[in-house]
Amino acid sequence: MSVPSPTMSAMRVIETEGLTKLYGRHRGIEGVTVAVEAGEVFGFLGPNGAGKTTTIRTLLDLIHPSAGRALLFGLDSQRESVAIRSRLGNLPGDFGYGREATGREALRLLARLRGIDGLGRAEALAQRFRADLDRPLGQLSRGNRQKVGLILATFHEPELLILDEPTGGLDPLMQEEFLALVAEERERGCAVFISSHDLDEVERVCDRVGIVKDGRVIAIERVADLLAKTQRRDLVEVEFAQPVELEDVRALSGVVGAEFAHPTLEEVFLGYYREEEDE
Amino acid sequence: MSSQVTALIATHLSDRRRSLLAWGLPIGLMSAFIVAIFPSVEDSISKAVEGYPEGLKEAFGIGQLSNVEQYLQAEMLSLIVPLAAGYLAVRAVASGLSGAAESGRLDVLLSAPVSRLRLCVAGFLATAVELAAVLALGWLLTMLGSALASAGLGAGPAAAGFANVWPLALLFAGLGIVACGFSLRTSVVTGAVAGVLVAMYVIDLVGKLDSGLSGIRYASVFRYYGNAIEEGIDPLAFAGVTAAAMGLAALGAWLFERRDISA
Repeated sequence: MSVPSPTMSAMRVIETEGLTKLYGRHRGIEGVTVAVEAGEVFGFLGPNGAGKTTTIRTLLDLIHPSAGRALLFGLDSQRESVAIRSRLGNLPGDFGYGREATGREALRLLARLRGIDGLGRAEALAQRFRADLDRPLGQLSRGNRQKVGLILATFHEPELLILDEPTGGLDPLMQEEFLALVAEERERGCAVFISSHDLDEVERVCDRVGIVKDGRVIAIERVADLLAKTQRRDLVEVEFAQPVELEDVRALSGVVGAEFAHPTLEEVFLGYYREEEDE
Repeated sequence: MSSQVTALIATHLSDRRRSLLAWGLPIGLMSAFIVAIFPSVEDSISKAVEGYPEGLKEAFGIGQLSNVEQYLQAEMLSLIVPLAAGYLAVRAVASGLSGAAESGRLDVLLSAPVSRLRLCVAGFLATAVELAAVLALGWLLTMLGSALASAGLGAGPAAAGFANVWPLALLFAGLGIVACGFSLRTSVVTGAVAGVLVAMYVIDLVGKLDSGLSGIRYASVFRYYGNAIEEGIDPLAFAGVTAAAMGLAALGAWLFERRDISA
């Protein structure tokens, strides 16, 4: 596992140290150590049940860690949770708010809880995402509910966005809009922590990724480094009886072309999993 | 009171606005009906009650049934209204905690800078207001029934009778918050507290019926309920039960603060 070494001058918005959550004898997460800096988009990758949501819920103090600690903005995630939450926005996985309330009612309450007077940015976001704030959430499709959830998470211009599977249910057009919004938030200086298993989305928007498996972080790399590293292990999909050089293949009589097949982030991700399983 | 608590109370009451009619109307209409028929059944009821065993009359708060206040107490305020209001209280308080956890709303609220303590305080206070509104509607409709049937129900005694239900029901709101400290499944919370509500009623009843077991009545809040419509509100019992409800709410908030909010 490669551990990042952010410069001390960069402000760490999230810093966890050995974060562990056990449910009786069952593991939630174990020894999760990550750091996310201001203005960075950090992808947290893993399949269902790997521990992504448990990590996020621990950061938000919805669940209390069994061991280790988390600092957000340098504040303790448990003791100073309220102060932390005044500076962040969160989109829970499988966003819900009850069936009868409308998005606008939810926004008004959250604005009052955050001490915000106007909903100007929320209205602009609603237009941008074509979100219906006036229909009861129970009458909206999952994707349209998710849009409302995104607006609730971002309308107050937080310093940190925590997004758990943010594009679930969004159509491709809205996924593009979402990625653009994340890029704008990063430009603004906001740190973004995205849990996802949409690797294409992560590859496009994240600066660094942490790969989590069975509750443990097994790799943390810059996306660019990860891809560059893996491109040195290019795969050549040809069927020969013995190993050959590509130039030799190209030089072979009757061969009209041979290409390197660069692995995608998805293949890299799966490669990490296979390596772990082989060990 | 903080603006956050005020906002949460307003939202809670708005979400539960239908409960005023769903609970207040049946309670009020049934009480109004009981009061309205009293003039026509007064004689036969009085004769029938004379034959009841004294212990039974005392256990169910029946007394002499010689006036409409006693009849309203026996038919509604000794059993139906307290049990209904107690159940309403736990349903109301659970809707803002376990219900919110089940719908996902709790995750959203706890992403904002609001403490769990404030959520509990707001839920408890909103339930107190909701209960008061339901009981006030019940009293209003009862007085309407009395006026229409010229039953002669005194507004003051009737108000005391309904108001006396408030702290008792509020105690079960406090217990509801305690239950939410252990479980965020609404069916578990309401089931457990409703069980305690019925158990307390039965304990009090048994203690009244058997003088040898009268000591067990101290384990029941119904021991302190009394008969306010005839005897007026006992300020000490009223304040004591309200304080106990607040104490339970505080204990519940302490437990809620320490528990995990499951996904």
